[in-house]
Amino acid sequence: MKQTHNIMVFVLSMAVFGLSDLVTELIPDVSIGPVEIGIPYFGFVGLILVMLFNPLYAALGASFGELVFGDLLMGDFGGIGEIDGFLVLFIGLWIAGLLVKNPSNRKMIAIAGMIGIGLDQFMSGALDVMKVGFGVADLEAVEGLPESIVILELIENGVEWLVAGILFGIIPAIYMVPRMYGKIEPLMGIRPREPRDVTIGGAVGRLALVAVIVLAFAAVFAYMSEVMDGTGEWAPDFVDQFGQSFIWIGIGIAAVVALIVILLSRRNKPTGGTSISRHV
Amino acid sequence: MSLIERWMSRFSLEQLKMTLWRTAYGNKDTFLSRLDPRVLLIWYVFFTVSPWFFYDRTVLVALFAVSLTLALTSRVSGLILFLMGVSTFMNLVYIGVLALFLGGSGDAFLALITLTLKLLIMGLASVAVFTSIDPEKLSDALLALRLPAPFSFGISYGYRMIPILVEQYQDVFASYRMRGCPPARKGILSWRIGYYFCKICVLAFYPTLLNTAKRVRTTVEALEMRGFTYTLVSGDARRLKLSRMSIRPIDGIFCGLSILYVAAAVWAGHQLAL
Repeated sequence: MKQTHNIMVFVLSMAVFGLSDLVTELIPDVSIGPVEIGIPYFGFVGLILVMLFNPLYAALGASFGELVFGDLLMGDFGGIGEIDGFLVLFIGLWIAGLLVKNPSNRKMIAIAGMIGIGLDQFMSGALDVMKVGFGVADLEAVEGLPESIVILELIENGVEWLVAGILFGIIPAIYMVPRMYGKIEPLMGIRPREPRDVTIGGAVGRLALVAVIVLAFAAVFAYMSEVMDGTGEWAPDFVDQFGQSFIWIGIGIAAVVALIVILLSRRNKPTGGTSISRHV
Repeated sequence: MSLIERWMSRFSLEQLKMTLWRTAYGNKDTFLSRLDPRVLLIWYVFFTVSPWFFYDRTVLVALFAVSLTLALTSRVSGLILFLMGVSTFMNLVYIGVLALFLGGSGDAFLALITLTLKLLIMGLASVAVFTSIDPEKLSDALLALRLPAPFSFGISYGYRMIPILVEQYQDVFASYRMRGCPPARKGILSWRIGYYFCKICVLAFYPTLLNTAKRVRTTVEALEMRGFTYTLVSGDARRLKLSRMSIRPIDGIFCGLSILYVAAAVWAGHQLAL
């Protein structure tokens, strides 16, 4: 039955988040200069789902729904370029869901929602900056360009965080999550979340932290290796000192960290960990 | 009429539904749709990754020509092409102006043209491929490429169900409007009306979530009755489902020509620098 519940949560979250994404397409964006002020997505729909159901499957479903309905169905699918958006939204929502122990605690919902959407926006901004660095060979040669891109991304993602994370994120979520808690789960034959289903303490904190560290490592080393191999115009000093082996050290560190994550998540599984969808 | 009211009247959920139907059921006889979906997906992955490794503008222009041709022949909606063009242009202008403002030089434009070309190649190729690929075929191809089954199921479910879900949302939205009362005064720039609509948009998700939860439970239970989870583990069911896909000579010719074309572009890039 557990597998079935997970599929249910996945499909529900995909359908509803996809629908909300379509609705946001209807609401016009106002662009002020290079910064577009619009509703990137309805954060609250994703937050409700990850806070009430199994966060892993709800977050997967929501980000997949965004991909399929928002982009594929509307005929403007970015292909490979959409995958990083998918991962980033998934991680943000997943962490938001893991942070909520008791869905009727409004303070917890607000904090978790802000952290989750904030992570999503921060990572997508960082990725955008890196993509420009990756795509433009002689970025450093152009004066003022890196700074301007960073500033633009900061403004844009800050605004998106305010809109998707606060206005259409935690404010509706604070209203809806406690009301839906215990109402929507029985409709699908799932037991409502109990505090012991999600262990907010060490396990989750470590997992989140470590995931972010791995991402940062991967991104930094991807960027550095590109800069050094690609053009040869710019190379940091420490490469001269340590040689190419430095990159391998970095990859090694990332691998070790990833291994620790896997081991940690293995160890947490038997004690109940984060699984919440058990049969009533 | 103020801006917000005009937008509200122009874009309706009805129109959205029509777009969805068009994407799900239209465009079946283009060149790309004749190819095997698996081959097309793999070709697409290579085609969209490769621009990142070229810094030669001649090669990029050649790749751009291919993706533009494909996009034009696969009847991508004009609106999307137009929006893409406008946003590309705006991005270029804004970043360029800002770079100049922060003390850069004209080099910024040259560097940015390279990046913009790359982004355009990927964008156009994506639009072309995913408008000509049938959703059923796409989900089969993803299953054949060993993606977890819920994803491939999700795509076919989405294409069939989302118009129904939009309709349901539309009903809920309409009922909220009928029972509610629009603000008496419009406020500056009719912000009250904007706020009112946004509030209904959000509130309408409450019943929608509950309804969809019931609907999803029915769907998944019906699937399980017919052995959905079993088909995921059983090889026979999988083979039967995927048996209608086959790789034909046209796929081979297409891939061969693409490789030749890229090789020729690289050679041309060495001969003349753009």
